[in-house]
Amino acid sequence: MKYSRVLIASLLVVIASACSSSSSNTSIDATPNEVTLLAYDAFTPQEGIFDAFTAATGAKVKVVTGGDSGVLVSKAILTAGNPEGDVLWGIDNTLLSRAQKAELLTNYEPVDYGDICVNYDKQWFTSRNIAPPTSLEDLALPTYKNLLTVQDPVASSPGLGFLLGTIAHFGADNWQGYWKSLKANGVRIASDWTSAYTIDFSGSSGKGKYPLVVSYGSSPPAEVLYAEKPIETPPTAVIESTCFRQTEYVGALRGSRNPNNAKKLISYLLDISFQESMPLSLFVFPVNEKAKLPVLFTKFAVAPENPLTLDPVDIEKNRDAWLSTWRDIIL
Amino acid sequence: MAEYMERHHLVSKTKTLLIAPVVFLSIFFVVPVTNTFLRYFRFSEFSSVLSSQPLRGVAWFSLWQAVVSTLLTLTIGLPATWALSRFTFRGARLARGILVAPFVLPAVVVAAGVLAITDSRGVTPILWAHVVFNVSVVLRIVGPRWSMVNHRLEHAAATLGARPSRTFTLVVWPHIADAVISAATLVFIYCFTSFGVIAILGGVSRRTLESEIFTQAVRLGNTTTATALAVLQALIISLVFLVVRQLRRSPSLSLHVSAPQALRTKPTHRLTPFIIIAIAVAVVASPLVATVYRSLVINGHVSFTAWRTLFSGSLPALSVSLQSVVTTSLVFAIAAACICVPLALLVATTSAPRALFSLPLVVSAATLGIGLIITFNTSPYAWRSERWLIPVVHAVIALPLVIRALEPATRAIPSSLRHASATLGASPFISWVRVDLSILKPALLRATGLSMAISLGEFGATSFLSRSGSTTLPIAIAQLLGRPGVATQQAGFALAALMIIITVGVMSRA
Repeated sequence: MKYSRVLIASLLVVIASACSSSSSNTSIDATPNEVTLLAYDAFTPQEGIFDAFTAATGAKVKVVTGGDSGVLVSKAILTAGNPEGDVLWGIDNTLLSRAQKAELLTNYEPVDYGDICVNYDKQWFTSRNIAPPTSLEDLALPTYKNLLTVQDPVASSPGLGFLLGTIAHFGADNWQGYWKSLKANGVRIASDWTSAYTIDFSGSSGKGKYPLVVSYGSSPPAEVLYAEKPIETPPTAVIESTCFRQTEYVGALRGSRNPNNAKKLISYLLDISFQESMPLSLFVFPVNEKAKLPVLFTKFAVAPENPLTLDPVDIEKNRDAWLSTWRDIIL
Repeated sequence: MAEYMERHHLVSKTKTLLIAPVVFLSIFFVVPVTNTFLRYFRFSEFSSVLSSQPLRGVAWFSLWQAVVSTLLTLTIGLPATWALSRFTFRGARLARGILVAPFVLPAVVVAAGVLAITDSRGVTPILWAHVVFNVSVVLRIVGPRWSMVNHRLEHAAATLGARPSRTFTLVVWPHIADAVISAATLVFIYCFTSFGVIAILGGVSRRTLESEIFTQAVRLGNTTTATALAVLQALIISLVFLVVRQLRRSPSLSLHVSAPQALRTKPTHRLTPFIIIAIAVAVVASPLVATVYRSLVINGHVSFTAWRTLFSGSLPALSVSLQSVVTTSLVFAIAAACICVPLALLVATTSAPRALFSLPLVVSAATLGIGLIITFNTSPYAWRSERWLIPVVHAVIALPLVIRALEPATRAIPSSLRHASATLGASPFISWVRVDLSILKPALLRATGLSMAISLGEFGATSFLSRSGSTTLPIAIAQLLGRPGVATQQAGFALAALMIIITVGVMSRA
């Protein structure tokens, strides 16, 4: 059998080369005129925003995307120490400790933040003369029966954020009871943000049946910016007390071949010009306090002073147990 | 019309032809998957997966929904295949285009279309979406075979007094049985490993092994559990293959083959084929129509804003242009077809065992994706971020299907023609070009279309690969639908509708 020999030979070659580890530990960049930024698919920076960086450092920024933040981090962990790029964009506080455990990054800093909050369809409530809910507790009241759609926390990052928010608010021993009452009150579980927001939710393009949806504190300005026809105010609003803070980090990947450029790129991402471009391209708030917010954001985006939060270490330690408890309650 | 009565005969028994496909598959499939297995498979994890009640439930659901989906697909697909490969009438090409189009569409588009009509999640929408996707598989694989069955045999049977049902079981079925079993196996595997459709329509309670593998590997970071599940899934699919082989082994038939038959323009019972096609088109097309509708209607009024935005060339909120998205997708599709079709032809013209070439169907996309990342990460094999790896992986995934699409045609080549050309002094190569290639031309065109379709719609293994400035259509659609704002979502549906319209247009000509 000729081809089985070919098969075995090529198998051996590739496995042998996979096992021989490459050790390159130099302080000089391997490709000084290029630096690679790994990011999730939804990373859509303002066009030309990296031109200034290239002009200043001589290095081009190559943006490489692959999957959502979960896929991105899982992939990077599988080959930690031998990364695909130099800088990683978009690990959030729900994934941070997983990345730390794998020693994925040599150093990292918060780069932006935003909140995962319940949004509501303003017109739905005014036209029925019903006051929109104002708290997590309200969502379990009979008035708001069969009105809320949320995402599966296992598959979706806003879904996980909302679950963590309820744990932060009700505590590790009481959130289960809250979810039982949400279930009894007809909460809809969508698989991901897209099906919850564009199919179930009544306040955006889908005109679904649910006027309450888990989304972001920055969704209302996006509804204005990307409206079908120019509008003055968004058709949706945010219930502030339901907001769970999501912080995204940027970090240098361990094993990067261009450590110097990586460092320069991270400081560029934290610098005022990039930070000011983020709200309207990525719909997140800048961490740099000197960065000015666009009017659309100051008017319609919500980022409460005291949002719900959880320690990343606690999240990592309990996430699997919380998720399986959540599944037991909902299924 | 030339007509030949003989045993099916394979072109070549030389194994040298197989070197290229075997090397290709070894490097880009066997090695990465073996790597995943060696690194992450633990027997203890496998036995704990087997003893877990919820995971057994997932396996059971995968299995029964796949069986039901397959039966429904055959119920809709086989009569439609009969009508389209026997008769020609106005609109037949369009109907064909509509029926095969969903194959290239991203699951999110079809699922959203189904959801727009059923307005509920659960088993029924899942089954419907699976039928929408898979009728094209039946049509593509059984169609070419059925159109080669000689009419005169049926006429003879009818003249001799056989009822239509008897004519079918005695005359037609033996000719198409192989292709039907082949198609049914593929449909089963597609539904069994369904991922996108399940994610959107299944909610949290309906999961398949494939979606659970993805959840475990990517969401929960449990690569060992994911690998154990992938092994379980591979075992079940292999078992199905074994059973199918037993089925096929039964009567080795003498094929009464002819060139593709002229289609009858005037069906004897004119209404029957029309009704059959109408039902199939209604089932398959209504979710597609819902997508087009959604791209045109906002808040109950018609709006062309999204289409105008598309035709101006820009995609709201994305940093790529429509032109570059379409170009990227087409370049990948053409590259994948250029790799896949020649390799598939080499396999289809030899009598080599097919097991190796069916492997990409057995292994879950997530397992392959993980394997690619952990295998091609060290120089000189640091290919994981290379652009060309994407069409290469598309070709790997398309290979088993394209082989199956070519096989009925290569088997039906009468060897007497080849002998004749050899006797007349043609070299083996010349006679291969003059005889085989010219007979295979329509099948090759279809195979190319199929390979391109798989490439355009693939969203599994390659979602693990990183891309630099190479956003494809399914990714752009998912991105647009994944953002707040009526304009972005509307543009997402318009892009999906554009993909539907182009595909229907292309497919009704190919």
